[in-house]
Amino acid sequence: MTTAPATVVALVVLAAAGLVPVVAAVGPRWVTVPLAPLGGAVVAGLAATASLSFGGPLLAWFAFLAVAGAAAAVALRAARPELGPWGRALRADRATGHHRGVDRRRAAGVVGVVAVVVACAWSLRGLRSPTVGFDARALWVMRPGWFLQSHAQLLVDMRARGLVLTQSAYPPLVSASAAVAWGVTGVHTARLGVTTVAVLNACALCAAALAVVEIGRTAATRLAGGSPADGAVGRGSAPRPGVRPPWAPMVAGVAAAVLLVLVAAGVTEPFLTNGYADPLWSLAAVGAAAFGLQSGSDWSNRATTVVLVLVAGLSKDEGLVTALALVALVAARSIGGAGLRGDGRRWRLPIAVAAGEVAVLGWWPLLMHAIGARGASSTFTTSNGTAARASAVVHGMSPYLHVLVLAVPLSALAALALSAVRRRSGVGNDLWAWAALAVGLVAVGGALVTGTGAIVPWIRSTVHRITEYPILQAWWIIAVWAVVASGAVGGTRRGTGSGAPGVDRARSDDGAVHAGPSATPSDPLSDVPSGAPSDTSVGAAR
Amino acid sequence: MQTVVVTAVGVLVAVVALVALVGQAVRGDRTVGAQLSVHAVHDATVDDAFYRCIDIQARSLVRPGQTVALRTDNLADVVTMIKGFGSWVTVADPASRADVVLTLRDGPAAPGTCLGTRVVGTSTGPDGARVVHLGTGAEVAGQGPPPAPPL
Repeated sequence: MTTAPATVVALVVLAAAGLVPVVAAVGPRWVTVPLAPLGGAVVAGLAATASLSFGGPLLAWFAFLAVAGAAAAVALRAARPELGPWGRALRADRATGHHRGVDRRRAAGVVGVVAVVVACAWSLRGLRSPTVGFDARALWVMRPGWFLQSHAQLLVDMRARGLVLTQSAYPPLVSASAAVAWGVTGVHTARLGVTTVAVLNACALCAAALAVVEIGRTAATRLAGGSPADGAVGRGSAPRPGVRPPWAPMVAGVAAAVLLVLVAAGVTEPFLTNGYADPLWSLAAVGAAAFGLQSGSDWSNRATTVVLVLVAGLSKDEGLVTALALVALVAARSIGGAGLRGDGRRWRLPIAVAAGEVAVLGWWPLLMHAIGARGASSTFTTSNGTAARASAVVHGMSPYLHVLVLAVPLSALAALALSAVRRRSGVGNDLWAWAALAVGLVAVGGALVTGTGAIVPWIRSTVHRITEYPILQAWWIIAVWAVVASGAVGGTRRGTGSGAPGVDRARSDDGAVHAGPSATPSDPLSDVPSGAPSDTSVGAAR
Repeated sequence: MQTVVVTAVGVLVAVVALVALVGQAVRGDRTVGAQLSVHAVHDATVDDAFYRCIDIQARSLVRPGQTVALRTDNLADVVTMIKGFGSWVTVADPASRADVVLTLRDGPAAPGTCLGTRVVGTSTGPDGARVVHLGTGAEVAGQGPPPAPPL
């Protein structure tokens, strides 16, 4: 079998392993398609961890965990059908039926998916070059062979000091996915590892880009007076019957998503297609921030966030730290001001989900310490060169973060004038996205400052990779503001009266103008409009 | 007045953001395209051929079931060996009990070498004597080291 068909087989196997749990948790959405292989990659990462913890072949653990995950998802669905996204989505569809608003929204979704997938495929053309990156050959697509060896030999591989590479204690997802590809195809080549990782990168990129498409569709729906279904914001909502959602946010969402794919490919190349783990954790973290901190806080978006957080945290140490920070941020957003004011019911689910994520993410690093793996010991230092190291880190990273020169003032200006538009569009507060960017920067910068390696060569050899996440996060922030701003602009032409332009008014099929949901947040970080959408219709005929 | 300000800022933000995204997307697409330049493809091909070559030579020195140690007196060579055949060798623990000790011998370009590098295996013969074998089965013409891929 050659590399191309072997890659397809690997992708199908990974997608099959992740399909049932992802579909059960996320529901019938376009983003489910790229999430399925990523879910399978998480299963592969957990299988590698279980194999190293308890013994047994990786592929046996992979099959067992895939079947167990599917069975658990089906059993939960049967026992508690009210949980999960399926019931809500179907109820919303039945309630709204088909009308022009829904058709527009669906059309934007289909066009967005096709455009994003085409852009992702185009961005993978670097695979035509037979490149295998340095670290990829030394670690990411070398370790799969270890994962396919016996348990006793795997322990030797992870511990033996003679193998010198301390990075072999890095989280397992990338290598485990390549190991599954090798195992099911019988093709044990670095090239297959690279192509498998590249396809997973594309899936993460596709998911993160689809978040922007979804934000545009949600904004259009809410600007058309759509109400959240079952308390959800955005997902599961539909425009008020007879009201056409404005095209502008949806078109801007699709355009921004396609552009983001091309931007991200440029930021992450050549590592997007040479087997490195940096693009995967960076793109997954950006997607997690987009779904968990910028999109509506419904069940489906939370489940999408969980998958992407696990991908980021199981891919690389920097991804692990960033993922843990994202877990905290997403939980904080879910709890919100109401939870802080004593509504205990808002604590339970976010805390339970966060605890589960931390448990899964913490398994591998704890295991590395337990078995005494090379590179698992702390490299933390409080040497008196901290100030010099911090200075070197700042100066090393700065040239790569020039996007902030645009993103910061643009966000500040937009926040001053368009915050109300943003809230009415159902888009999360911008500060959450900036918090996600900041924790990523602090995590990576902190590791460099407190590490023991010679700082200058360390930065020179890694800075273009370890800054991928904050760069991408900044571009996503810019793109989301573009979608929000288009909502303000796109509605102005139709607006006829008072209130913020566009967002308050959308024309119905019969010419009536309806007000969108009002937002009267009392929490500075609130992004959930507290007004009852159905009460705000003014029904003013032109 | 508020409506005008919001609309104006909305136009400004949308235009600036989309123009910036378009500009960066064009740059990004060029970056991806650069991976397909003749120079980049040539370097990747040579790199790939080098590691495939030392992989084949190592396989000629290690029989199935034999344990291996990588000689660690040259860090760069250890990393090269890990990259070339670290995924499949059975690493001995402790290294002193290895059936075969593998190392690299770097020299000028010559027949039977991988860009001048040859894999060398050292084992102990039935009589207890040290036996040195040279890797065979593949060669790449030219002088190493292979082009360095981006770190």
